Amino acid sequence: MKKFVLAAAAVLFVMPAVQAADDPVATRKAIMQSVAASAGLSGGMMKGEIAYSPAAGKAAIASLNAAALSFGAFFPAGSEAAPGTTASPKIWEDSAGFAAALAKFSAATGAAAQASGKDGPADVDALKAAVGPILASCKSCHEVYRVQK
Amino acid sequence: MRRKILTGVLVAGAAVAAAGWVLTAPRPLSSAALAALPDGDPQRGEVVFHAGGCASCHAAPGAKGEDKLKLAGGLKLATPFGTFVAPNISSDPNDGIGGWSKADFANAMLAGVSPDGAHYYPAFPYTSYARMTPGDVMDLQAYMQQLPAVAGKAPAHDLGFPFNIRRGLGLWKLANLDPAPMVTVAAGDAVLERGRYLVEGPGHCGECHTPRDAIGGLDRSRWLAGAAAPTGEGRIPNITGGEGGIGSWSAADIAYYLETGFTPDFDSVGGEMVAVQENMAKLPASDREAIAAYLKAVPALADGR
Ligand code: HEC
Ligand code: HEC
Ligand code: HEC
Repeated sequence: MKKFVLAAAAVLFVMPAVQAADDPVATRKAIMQSVAASAGLSGGMMKGEIAYSPAAGKAAIASLNAAALSFGAFFPAGSEAAPGTTASPKIWEDSAGFAAALAKFSAATGAAAQASGKDGPADVDALKAAVGPILASCKSCHEVYRVQK
Repeated sequence: MRRKILTGVLVAGAAVAAAGWVLTAPRPLSSAALAALPDGDPQRGEVVFHAGGCASCHAAPGAKGEDKLKLAGGLKLATPFGTFVAPNISSDPNDGIGGWSKADFANAMLAGVSPDGAHYYPAFPYTSYARMTPGDVMDLQAYMQQLPAVAGKAPAHDLGFPFNIRRGLGLWKLANLDPAPMVTVAAGDAVLERGRYLVEGPGHCGECHTPRDAIGGLDRSRWLAGAAAPTGEGRIPNITGGEGGIGSWSAADIAYYLETGFTPDFDSVGGEMVAVQENMAKLPASDREAIAAYLKAVPALADGR
């Protein structure tokens, strides 16, 4: 239960918009951390480690959807060389491919937001159906557009 | 006097050359080992194929799903020694390896020697595959024989002198081809032994996760401690329990990562590890648990990157 409260709290702090304008790298990393927190909350509920609640499912999905819609705006030219980033230069070399990966991500989160409705996915199976495709889209983007440095 | 010295130098030079020629000679498996090769079982070979990650290099770059079973080659591996191109190893009898005997395949996998007796480059990670059992190698060949035949040769490697001379690899292999285990595990611990086999042998995890010396050999003193990527950009993480490694991951965390691609803090796998993880997901759960147990047991080293 404590884990649930922590995870839910993480989800609520979705995007610290503070540094958005002057620090795109910190912003996009913060967005991805919120994505990971929501994925962790969903995963924890799917594994049965965190008790399921439709409101928590809805919060996770809403935060993933907001992240998918905003993430692409924080990759200005030149920010591939910033210290601490793990963004791959391929984002800028193949911007059409990166846009397609973003579109795939937001299509999955948009469909989940639609399916989760006003009250959130009714049970764990509904959550799995909604969030499964989102979780499957992480690694196809990271495979090409992210590199550990 | 001058003449005597000169002759001496010439004789010594010839002796070195002759010794070099002998030392660099390809060493295929013994005829006894070849005669003892069992018959392969294609069903068992499927798991070996995934554990070995053959499709990561030999399928078309970016191939997904069924296309990963079309092993026509073509992937370019850019290294400090030049660009290697993965060859066609589909079951096509002319352009692939469909016409190979059991001995041909075993010599390639376990000794790094081609059917016409030449050395292979270690860009083909036989330095790890040499630790595989002959049974697994034969099962793998039987499985690959059932995969689609794809016509067409991949382009040749693009290597400068002296790396374009295969014979020179003989010395490199003397120093670096050693199928002895890297890590001592408790004798009789079947789980650790299985994990060690998968990681050090078919899984060839050390080929990416261990740093290399100036001539491209693995630095055995820094086993799995993380490295610069052998091809392309980026760094490959330390997967020992040492500083900068994965000491905070439990064995269950490691097994979960190999199954789903999610780290304990729900970061998602990326880069070349995606293909490896997707292969690991196809192994039985007991194999992922064995790998996890082994990674928890290897000496903890500080980040080697
Ligand atoms: C469209 C591409 C894309 C998708 C989809 C995507 N990511 Fe990322 N992710 C990135 C990029 C690019 C970075 C590197 C950002 C940087 O360091 O500048 C990253 C970084 C991260 C980080 C590290 C953040 C940090 O603090 O450095 C985490 C954690 C993460 N992603 C988790 C996920 C998870 C979980 C999913 C799926 C639910 C996902 N990502 C989906 C592109 C993507
Ligand atoms: C890291 C990339 C990589 C992986 C993984 C890999 N190979 Fe290769 N393989 C190569 C390269 C490069 C060559 C060419 C070597 C040379 O020309 O000396 C090669 C050559 C071969 C050959 C010789 C082909 C010929 O025509 O002579 C065989 C057989 C082979 N690989 C089988 C396999 C099998 C089976 C696996 C999986 C267990 C595998 N390879 C995994 C890169 C790879
Ligand atoms: C082709 C190169 C390659 C091979 C082979 C490989 N890895 Fe990796 N591995 C990587 C890369 C690159 C990463 C970083 C992934 C990322 O960017 O998310 C990684 C990450 C990991 C991680 C996560 C580490 C962390 O701190 O996030 C583990 C665990 C791991 N590998 C285990 C293995 C095991 C076990 C094997 C053998 C079965 C293996 N790897 C084989 C390239 C490889």
